[in-house]
Amino acid sequence: MNRPLIVLVLSLTVTACAHRDSYVLLPDRGGPAGTLTVKPTEGGLPLKLDQPYQTATSTMSGAFDQSTTNKQDVETRYRAALGATPPALVRFTLYFLEGSDELTPASKRDLEAVMVEIKARPVPDIVVVGHTDRVGLVADNDRLALRRAESFRKRLLQQGMADDAIQTAGRGEREPLVDTADEVPEPRNRRIEILVR
Amino acid sequence: MFRSRTQKTILMFVASGGCALASMYAGTGFAADAQAGNIWGAQIKVSRDDVGIERDGQRFPGLVGARLREKDIIRTGEKGSVGIMFTDNSTLSMGPDSEVVLRRYAYDSTTYMGAFDAYIKRGNVSLQTGNIAKQTPEAMRMFTPKAELSGTAKNYVVSVGE
Repeated sequence: MNRPLIVLVLSLTVTACAHRDSYVLLPDRGGPAGTLTVKPTEGGLPLKLDQPYQTATSTMSGAFDQSTTNKQDVETRYRAALGATPPALVRFTLYFLEGSDELTPASKRDLEAVMVEIKARPVPDIVVVGHTDRVGLVADNDRLALRRAESFRKRLLQQGMADDAIQTAGRGEREPLVDTADEVPEPRNRRIEILVR
Repeated sequence: MFRSRTQKTILMFVASGGCALASMYAGTGFAADAQAGNIWGAQIKVSRDDVGIERDGQRFPGLVGARLREKDIIRTGEKGSVGIMFTDNSTLSMGPDSEVVLRRYAYDSTTYMGAFDAYIKRGNVSLQTGNIAKQTPEAMRMFTPKAELSGTAKNYVVSVGE
């Protein structure tokens, strides 16, 4: 047999089939990258990646080698997977009149931006959490917080959104944006926080 | 061109992609979330070309909007890719010829406690961790045939050969 041809064929086969695993820690936009611990199934010491673009690559023995790659290489190799990442979630806060589930005039104007973001997504799902300030009884504020969240749900339903794509919760006065003493009116705490996903 | 039958056979084996059999799935036309009720843990937000879901032995097309839950298997074909968002805000996206099993997913949106285990059987996967890992890093684990991955990483990519 023709030896060079066999070697070529075998090396092609090996390149195609004996694909090595690799795991790459990527940078985070919001802060430190954190760490990625790679524990080999076959046993042996775990590898800890703690710098962006550090890579763990599998070897024939089952252990992992550490190396460093770069942004361009990752973007080329993982183009399809990275390209399918769902759009980042967006958060909004809308404010309410005291003791009421009616939006403040300013928040009524902001509503448009929220709706634009929701409508830009093919399958949006929404989380709405209602809050109050510390005026009144805790139990009343729990109800008011939920009413605020529900009023937003109603608005979305009117716009044709599916009921099961909206989750609501009321946190009452437990999670103020601004800490105050009890019974202090605080407009910034009368709010709903909306997560558009 | 070929000097022997053996060489020809080897070449044909390579050409036929003996190590890269395309993943096949049969779309049934039924919506995958029809029977999911309210126990879904994730939703397909991006779906390109052939993407399939296997649930309790049944196969569904992995369309945009389809909901996913624990035990589901997601597969992409040779041109497929899919982007999934979980209820804890983590995301998992897959390139072509990939397969991921959602072994375990549980999440409490009040405490952020939960468990997220997935098995990446093959292909390329990109991950962004969410509230589960933020609350308890070791509660989110990715498994491959060769390793277990966990930690405080917010973003990472995984490539698994066959």
